[in-house]
Amino acid sequence: MARERRAPAGPFDYSRKLSLRLVFIIGAIFLYAPIVVLVIFSFNDSRRGGNVIWKGFTTKYYEKAFNNDALVEAFINSLAIAFISTLIAVILGALTAVVLWRFRFPLKPVFEGMVSLPIVIPEICMGVSLAVFFSSFGLYVPRDMPFPLNLTNIIIAHITFSFPFAAMVIRTRLNSFNREMEEAAKDLGATEFQVFRDILLPHMKPGLVAGALLAFTLSLDDFVITFFTSGPNTVTFPIKVYSMVRFSVTPEINAASTILILITLLVTFLAMRFQSFEEPRQ
Amino acid sequence: MNKSESPIISVKGVTKRFGSFTALQDISLDIRPGEIFALLGPSGCGKSTLLRIIAGLETATEGTVAIDGQDMTGIPANKRPVNMVFQSYAVFPHMSVADNVAYGLKLERRPAAEIREKVAEALAQVHLSDFAHRKPDQLSGGQRQRVALARALVKRPKVLLLDEPLSALDAKLRDAMRLELVKLQESVGVSFVIVTHDQSEALAMADRIAVLKDGVLRQLDSPAALYKRPVDRFVADFIGSINMFAVTGRRAEGGDAARLETAELGAIAVPAAHLPAAGKGALTLAVRPERVKVGAKAQKEAQGEGGLVSVAGRLGDVAFQGNSSIVEVLLEGGGSLSALVSEAEADHLMQAESGSPITAWWALDDMLILPENATAA
Repeated sequence: MARERRAPAGPFDYSRKLSLRLVFIIGAIFLYAPIVVLVIFSFNDSRRGGNVIWKGFTTKYYEKAFNNDALVEAFINSLAIAFISTLIAVILGALTAVVLWRFRFPLKPVFEGMVSLPIVIPEICMGVSLAVFFSSFGLYVPRDMPFPLNLTNIIIAHITFSFPFAAMVIRTRLNSFNREMEEAAKDLGATEFQVFRDILLPHMKPGLVAGALLAFTLSLDDFVITFFTSGPNTVTFPIKVYSMVRFSVTPEINAASTILILITLLVTFLAMRFQSFEEPRQ
Repeated sequence: MNKSESPIISVKGVTKRFGSFTALQDISLDIRPGEIFALLGPSGCGKSTLLRIIAGLETATEGTVAIDGQDMTGIPANKRPVNMVFQSYAVFPHMSVADNVAYGLKLERRPAAEIREKVAEALAQVHLSDFAHRKPDQLSGGQRQRVALARALVKRPKVLLLDEPLSALDAKLRDAMRLELVKLQESVGVSFVIVTHDQSEALAMADRIAVLKDGVLRQLDSPAALYKRPVDRFVADFIGSINMFAVTGRRAEGGDAARLETAELGAIAVPAAHLPAAGKGALTLAVRPERVKVGAKAQKEAQGEGGLVSVAGRLGDVAFQGNSSIVEVLLEGGGSLSALVSEAEADHLMQAESGSPITAWWALDDMLILPENATAA
């Protein structure tokens, strides 16, 4: 009986070409291996986080991380900053996007360029400029302000760099809006506000969710700009982790980072679920 | 004047300019209650702009639109008693079919029970009762159009405006939908204003047709009148197919009659009554293919008391069309003309060799003498 031979790979059977598979595998390893190692070694029963020798399974570093008040406080600060700055960034971004999409006005290209400028400006420059701005305008919030007002500077800084991303994502979404839909709603008796609420906003929703997701993750792990705008009493998670690493890398940091990864994944997952519920395929 | 005879929409002197471009030039027309009115013209003629001005989605630079006797100037689209079916249907994708239809009624803050009842009625009218809870992305193009129709009709508009309603459908569905739209119009009784670039669509559906070209109303008439008595060369060419011969010279003959010279047909004497009264530009002689007879030699049987025009040529291609055929006659004076012949005649002609001599003829009364543009001063 003749041995069955597999047909040679067709022109679009990329997944069957060994060379391309290899590229994919190497890429995946470089991207994800460090994260996997980080997660695995958060359970390593060793004093040193940098230790690559497996010494047994333990969850004590999670316990330790939860009992580290400074770390927990930094974590809560980060989440509060992320939530508040995301909310404001998405509202500002949505308004900007609608203005850019809907209206024509003098110097519109200039305005459009200025909106996206924070995306291309190096973070270090933004950090320095914001620090100088806050200090020279005396905007440094007193240290004893109650939470989360003590985070005002950082929140403002985060809104500044994350709202252009939200605006761009929402603007892109608006491009696919069929203007006849707006006219149809008006024709059926809707006022401008009703058109916005009933027709435009539902269309924008996936863009709003995606923009929020982007703003949230950008804020959560921002280091450079936060470093320049945070005070001694307003430490965020990335800055706290950095300062801990400077002394020694312990599995505690691995554990805290794993929790951060989990939260990010959870938020992304929820956002995607929400989106697929709300928005039928078109 | 009889109440039912007063126009439901009265367009008076409407001009629309976009910057230096004039989209509509002094359009005046009346739309009668209960008729299907077609705005017909090639793309860019301004027909959609006129529809949007009636709907209130565009404002006229000059002129007025009155709906049911009320001047609509300054009244926005959402307060006008007309509704529109958009070319893309513009069905709201995030709402179910029933919610789409209910949307206009909800904006009127009608009681929920009444809305339910009217929505069910409207969906039954367009045969979509079983699809009430579907989302638009689960519907075909034809079904989406029905949603758009139901959504507009449920508001009980005084006039329904339809922008190229059939252009997005495939050929077979288009023919079915034509009939269905006419039936729907008969059952709801409101006037339909249909914008279309497809003359066969307008001829088949409309009671009256306004032919537009470059923002100017060229002719407003019934389909039969447009076909039989086009006022100028453009309308004749746009509606149906027609053979045309440019008149190159004109000589007066006894009385008011004239002798018209053409390259293809030679000189033809025509009585004064046949000459167009209005319009300017070069004259064109035109004859519909179904009026042209072909044979070995001209036979003077069934033409009227007027004369006969006959022209010698050679047999060209014969295009089979089922129950009839289009015969191409290559004229000796250059150019060609086409004649529509019956199946039997075509069989007979097919036996003759291509290029063999043949004569085409038609009654003088069937020949149209058209100005370039009847509306130009």
